[in-house]
Amino acid sequence: MTAQEFKEYVKANGVKKAAKDVDIVTTGTFGAMCSSGAYFNFGHSDPPIKMQKVWMDGIPAYAGLAAVDAYLGATELDDTNNMMHGGAHVIEDLVRGKAVRLKATAYGTDCYPKKEIDTYVSLKTVNQAVLLNVRNCYQNYAVATNSGSRTLYTYMGKLLPEYGNATYSSAGELSPLLNDPYYRSIGIGTRIFLGGAQGFVIWEGTQFNPGVPRTPAGVPKRAAGSIAVIGDLKQMSPEFLRGLTFTRYGTSLGLGIGIPIPILDEEMARACAITDDQIVTAMFDYSQPARSRTVLKEITYAELRSGEIELKGKQIPTSSLSSLYKARQISQILKSQIQKGAFMIERPVQNLPMDRVFKALDVRTEKEAM
Amino acid sequence: MKTKVVLNFSPEAANTPITHNLIAKYHLLVNILRAEIDEIGGKMVLELSGKADDIRKGIDYLKSNGVGVRPIKEGVRRDDDVCTHCGMCVSICPTKALAFDSKTGKVTFTEEKCVACGVCIDACPPRAMEILI
Repeated sequence: MTAQEFKEYVKANGVKKAAKDVDIVTTGTFGAMCSSGAYFNFGHSDPPIKMQKVWMDGIPAYAGLAAVDAYLGATELDDTNNMMHGGAHVIEDLVRGKAVRLKATAYGTDCYPKKEIDTYVSLKTVNQAVLLNVRNCYQNYAVATNSGSRTLYTYMGKLLPEYGNATYSSAGELSPLLNDPYYRSIGIGTRIFLGGAQGFVIWEGTQFNPGVPRTPAGVPKRAAGSIAVIGDLKQMSPEFLRGLTFTRYGTSLGLGIGIPIPILDEEMARACAITDDQIVTAMFDYSQPARSRTVLKEITYAELRSGEIELKGKQIPTSSLSSLYKARQISQILKSQIQKGAFMIERPVQNLPMDRVFKALDVRTEKEAM
Repeated sequence: MKTKVVLNFSPEAANTPITHNLIAKYHLLVNILRAEIDEIGGKMVLELSGKADDIRKGIDYLKSNGVGVRPIKEGVRRDDDVCTHCGMCVSICPTKALAFDSKTGKVTFTEEKCVACGVCIDACPPRAMEILI
């Protein structure tokens, strides 16, 4: 069943029966996942080059690896900081089957004499094209609003002045990690739907922070967990992988992820039965330019989804940055793939760590850092 | 017939009761879709309904009073292939032309409600909204 169907099934039949009757619940999310990128192996030129600096359609890719490998980050911009076309857009272009201009320079060595190359590559010409994202699929996320007197352009979108609107970015009750709050079934090695293809969870996501406040049911009320993922870019689809532009902030990758959750027992069934009215997040004022913003209010996804929330006696219209439509689509696709036997489910090779804390970066001396 | 126009006011024009005159002298039905006017001028988006001849005369009257008149021909358009239905535009659209349909999970765009203000253009992460003037 999809997560949506399962929640209705539990409502009608109770958790006990649902745990017995249902094997797998499919979840889904589609949103801006900034900490993403792809690595490539371009193949060797003749004479060969040890690429030191690499640009893909003018966007710099990191080439501090061997010879013809490079990593293109989703948020990377060209020299003019053109936010309409960043690393994420180049990745989307490649997935769309387009050819991308590859330029590289090098200092030249005895074994790699060539010093520059200017050519075109596509997913057909490269050896590997692999999406490798270090932080995706946040378990929960903040709600952003703006008390200031001017419009703010943020990674949470356009925030109108005087609490003119509020934005949030989670698929709520459909979101993978909200249905498995203690990461019992999602761990290293978990096979996932990634950008239209099959990929894997390879590690905890960066900033993994499971120790945040939770509801009595164990659902985190703040960002909490995230996952690092990998998958073959050549198998992905632009339907579930998009370059995004957040005006005056930068570019990001719109990415679809779906994760099946096996209903191992009643506890798992209870976790997957959670609905938007039981998932809480916190609202912050993004006009406060500080690392730790004060919580304005705690709020449920049911309230956010209603289109309007109340703050300080004012009704504020809300916007989602995460596509519910695509989240539903992904959970549906995943369900049919599992039913057809085209998507296998395994136990994670290793569970995600519960003891991580989220540290800050302070300006410190060498001694203090030791 | 009906037509939508964007008016640009100079400070002088801002102090003339032009809306009243459009109704009284030219027998037009005036629907104010959006207005931002103060003593130094401003902008207004109107929907004018009436006889074609009266609308033409009304627009001539506006122009003769120093009001800039720009017809909204097509306004804002959405590229449905690009839209991901995230919903970013929903909370900033002043006329609710962009709205969330909880049944389908999609963002609907009702062109009749759109006043072509353009706030959605740079707010759309996949850049699905386009303004045509």
